[in-house]
Amino acid sequence: MVLSQKLHEAFKGTVERITGPRTVSAFKEKGVLSVSEFVAAGDSLVSKCPTWSWEAGEPSKRKSYLPADKQYLITRNVPCLRRAISVEEEYEAAGGEVLLDNDDNDDGWLATHGNPRVTKSEDEENLPSMDTLEISSGRAIRSIPSYFGGQEEEDIPDMAEYEDSENLVEMDPATLQSTYFVAHEPEDDNILRTRTYDISITYDKYYQTPRVWLTGYDESRMPLQPELVLEDVSQDHAHKTVTIEDHPHLPGKHASVHPCRHGAVMKKIIDVLMSRGVEPEVDKYLFLFLKFMASVIPTIEYDYTMEFDLGSSSH
Amino acid sequence: MSSISSSKNGGGGGGGGDGRILQFAPLGSIVDDGFWRRLSSLKLDTLGIDQSPIEITGFYAPCSHTQVSNHLTLLAESLPPEPSEQSSLRETSHGNRNRCPVPGTLLNTNTLESFHALDRESLLRMEGKKIFEDICSGKVEEDASLLSRFLIISFADLKKWSFRYWFAFPALVLDPPATLINIQPAAKMLNPEEAESLSAACNEWRNSISTAGVPFFLVTISSNSQATVRPLQDWEFCQDDGQKILFGFYDPCHLPNHPGWPLRNFVAFICLRWKLEKIQFLCYRERHGLADMGSSLVGEASFSLPQGWKDPQCVPKAVGWELNKGKLSSRIISLAEAMNPERLAVSAA
Repeated sequence: MVLSQKLHEAFKGTVERITGPRTVSAFKEKGVLSVSEFVAAGDSLVSKCPTWSWEAGEPSKRKSYLPADKQYLITRNVPCLRRAISVEEEYEAAGGEVLLDNDDNDDGWLATHGNPRVTKSEDEENLPSMDTLEISSGRAIRSIPSYFGGQEEEDIPDMAEYEDSENLVEMDPATLQSTYFVAHEPEDDNILRTRTYDISITYDKYYQTPRVWLTGYDESRMPLQPELVLEDVSQDHAHKTVTIEDHPHLPGKHASVHPCRHGAVMKKIIDVLMSRGVEPEVDKYLFLFLKFMASVIPTIEYDYTMEFDLGSSSH
Repeated sequence: MSSISSSKNGGGGGGGGDGRILQFAPLGSIVDDGFWRRLSSLKLDTLGIDQSPIEITGFYAPCSHTQVSNHLTLLAESLPPEPSEQSSLRETSHGNRNRCPVPGTLLNTNTLESFHALDRESLLRMEGKKIFEDICSGKVEEDASLLSRFLIISFADLKKWSFRYWFAFPALVLDPPATLINIQPAAKMLNPEEAESLSAACNEWRNSISTAGVPFFLVTISSNSQATVRPLQDWEFCQDDGQKILFGFYDPCHLPNHPGWPLRNFVAFICLRWKLEKIQFLCYRERHGLADMGSSLVGEASFSLPQGWKDPQCVPKAVGWELNKGKLSSRIISLAEAMNPERLAVSAA
């Protein structure tokens, strides 16, 4: 974590401790949610898209301003069949690709945009600037072996020792053989692997918006290092808006879409709806929000039903 | 319709020239970091060198995406709660439709040597025996999740923050194996009224707090195409003539031609407890969290009671150690990056 980001986290933590949660609705004016609006929107999501559920999380991490059994929302085992980065590579073909520098010079990533854009908008007066959160791009994007891979070397002799004849797979005619499950042992990096994600949504008291967190698993169902999760994030965002931080309710570091711009973007979406004569309802907030998130994590196939048409490009 | 439960076809080579062996897709495991963290603190604060088996809870749900199966998941909440937080946890996971609880046993050893020295074959038989006894005693009718009982053996190396583990999903082996007569998407096997009524009945079952987490059930379909979902205890009320019976279960598997692992012990239960030799089963699957008759399967299978099972003292053969990348071996996860206080201190500096 770079220093400026850490300072900001400390500042944010202090502000969260000394200020009360939002109680007055500013949904239409600022695109933000009060605590009770977040709970109502969550209830609506859970009832319309039952793959989502509320969870209580660790009691020691419970936020007193949220109901004990409704601390955050989660949907588990969501498939992600393609890496966002490779989809974009196909899509953008050879235009404007830049090989990013990194310290080791050997496994730099291809970025489809040399300079991630930050769209400034006029109505951001109440929203802390993203500039305080800059992440140095060189180090965030190095490909890092999974937890599993990192340790495996030191354990290989040990594994070999026990892979003796008694460990041969027993032929049981009623067990479907595993060809389906390990069909392609991918030595070749071009073979895309099915990952799955647990996606959680917490309430960010400072920004007064929902916040999305990603926990990834590889094809053999072992946890993914949060850094590898960045391969499944649209490259516009992987360099900037997706950070790796402590989850407020779950143990460990997780990739998260930073909420500093969420209010502004939601405000725009709401404005578009209102300009079309649609009166936005606050309990639909998370459906709109998840649609917006799909631009950040385009290949992770989580559920959100849309009950109204937003048009093609609403933000 | 009553032919479903009264066939005398003794299995093997029966219906329609099909008659393959009924094969079940194995269940997979997935373990959240939180589980290992809770186990570590339990080990350090409470268990010490005690190696007694620990009762834990795994969670699973019906498959909800056509491309990926669901898995048995262990979370921090799978372990017994820490003394300070006794009460609230049980209540909050109760009735969560995405977390059907399954009872399991954790055997955590103190050394790597004792992990490898575990007699996995006899452990599996012991777990299989528990399932067999719960079937014979009628306990399964009260708590159907006992059919999916699982085992995990582990060695937690708290110095290196690495965890070696191996799951088993014990399944009683029918010998000879059951014969698959037919399997099709439910939408094809049922008429449209039946499919619609069954969807509605399943959604109701899944939405009710008292039944959302009950993974095995009975479906009766009356002659006027009305489907009803009932708990296993209602078996005796299901045998009126003129209604179709489906033996339903939450299927974590996504494959279009194969049922998932939980059906395996359900078949053993039906064969042993209710003495049937031919059934129609329902692999219940969802899409967007709602009943989906396109991906749910209805199949027909025949089988016969193995001779040995007539003795209530018998210890049936069981299979079910989880494979790791196609091989019979344990898995290792290292949380050194995330948990080691020294490394955390370095990365924070």
